[in-house]
Amino acid sequence: MSRRGIPQVPSRFHRGSETFRFLLLVMVALIPIVLVAVLGPTWLALVVLGFGICALAARAVQLRMRRLRDPELSVKMAPPHLGEAAERRVLVVANDTLSETSLLGEVRRLASVPHTHVLLLVPALISPGERLTGAGEDALAQARVRLSRALGRLGADRDIKGEVSAAEGLVAVEDTFASFVPDEVLVSTRWERAAGGLDPRLAGLVRERFAVPVRHLVFEFGSVAQEPDQDAEARYQREFGDAAAWRFGLRALAGAGILAAVVLSAVALITVAERNQATAVSQRVAAQALPTPADATGPPAKVIDVSVIPEGKKGPEGAMHDDFTVSEFHVTVGRPLTLRIDNTDTQPHSISSPEAHVYIIAQPGTHGYTLLVDKPGKFEWHCEFLCDPWAMEHVGYMRGFITATPS
Amino acid sequence: MAAPKINPQPWRWNHPRVLVEEPDEAAGLAIASALRFSGYAVGVCPGPQGHGQCPLTGPGGCAPAHGADLIVCSLGYEREVAREVLRELRARYPGVPLLVEVPSEIDAELQELLDGCHRLPAGAGPEQVVTAVQSLYGHVSQGNPAGA
Repeated sequence: MSRRGIPQVPSRFHRGSETFRFLLLVMVALIPIVLVAVLGPTWLALVVLGFGICALAARAVQLRMRRLRDPELSVKMAPPHLGEAAERRVLVVANDTLSETSLLGEVRRLASVPHTHVLLLVPALISPGERLTGAGEDALAQARVRLSRALGRLGADRDIKGEVSAAEGLVAVEDTFASFVPDEVLVSTRWERAAGGLDPRLAGLVRERFAVPVRHLVFEFGSVAQEPDQDAEARYQREFGDAAAWRFGLRALAGAGILAAVVLSAVALITVAERNQATAVSQRVAAQALPTPADATGPPAKVIDVSVIPEGKKGPEGAMHDDFTVSEFHVTVGRPLTLRIDNTDTQPHSISSPEAHVYIIAQPGTHGYTLLVDKPGKFEWHCEFLCDPWAMEHVGYMRGFITATPS
Repeated sequence: MAAPKINPQPWRWNHPRVLVEEPDEAAGLAIASALRFSGYAVGVCPGPQGHGQCPLTGPGGCAPAHGADLIVCSLGYEREVAREVLRELRARYPGVPLLVEVPSEIDAELQELLDGCHRLPAGAGPEQVVTAVQSLYGHVSQGNPAGA
């Protein structure tokens, strides 16, 4: 930022080295995501992307918490007084309140004291996004207009100067301690932070860091100046400090939890969709393999009727449990077996055997499905939809075997 | 012995630096103002009751005390924690003069602790502090403090 002349918005991207580091970081972060997206399953790409986003969010939260936390050293500092002993230098920090007649009256009163120099400091209200990209000309122009109008209304007969700063409020004040060296600071805000307005917490931050008297005057539209009482200052104070940092951290953690839940749900949905797609492909392959009416030379396709009945079968302990009425399936390798499954439940159930590459999802109602196994062996299947926990663990209920014999 | 590594270094001004240890905010600001108008850069610390842990109780040390030319202590030495601060200041920064505001009644332990310190009477006003600082450090010519 140039202290003299027109200030520029300080952006890290104005420096080539910073820009290069940022681009390098983005490329390094993108490489695993792209590799996984191309070579691996979709869910893994989503998980890697989620990790990347979480890492970025964690860094942003860390920076924000660092800004909120109490200063490590509770020492107020100030440079020696500048000029003759009789001189007083007053710094007035304002932006959106510069249009208030009562503030200008206060500035006139301060400047009317002999040997008093007043500096109107107007920190431009640049959003973090604008600050990152180096934009913010609008905010600077708005600050210049406000300062120019205020100086015009104050008149040129008093020792009042003005300065627009592209730095954030506290940094702008800090810069002024190196150039103007104020003996007193007056921070002018609204009661609550408004869009396009200075943060009322700024006064407390300045008071905490500089060993000069700091006054906080609050101006509402058209009203006289008011000084926040201790309760109001305490409330502003609570919005900063270690406790506020931890509150923010906890909120961020909760947000991360919600984001993780959304990502995991998306991964689960994609996984199920991929399995359904695999089943559909398997069924299409099976349909092609089934003998057509024209192909009447082969034996007719066998159809097995199966029902899924909630609490349809008594367990050894006497309680009723969910069951598939047929839990043992015998197939020939490569030869499709048609299952007519009557799922009498209101939720889907499945015959899932990852080892045999079988994923049949039985939707409620009666539908036809194809069981096709591509290798010989005895494979255990189970229902992977959460239903009767006991039945899901016991063969003959929601679990069974598929025996595939070589053709 | 290697110089202690203290980061950040809070003093930014080349002028003589006075650290004021004063728990009362208004009194600290009054002393700071008087010192500033006499040409000193000032730091005001509320002592161990400030935010968090007093850095003097940790291994890193106190950066403002490390960089100070003189320390004014008005912590009230009835409390053990204040005496601990004084003890640490003396042990860690033996080359930095200490100007200590002492109570009217001093016990033997405090007497021993204050041995070698410059003393101020209890309830000394800002002008008295400035006079004492000037007698220890000498008068300071005023100039542009902005040069860091």
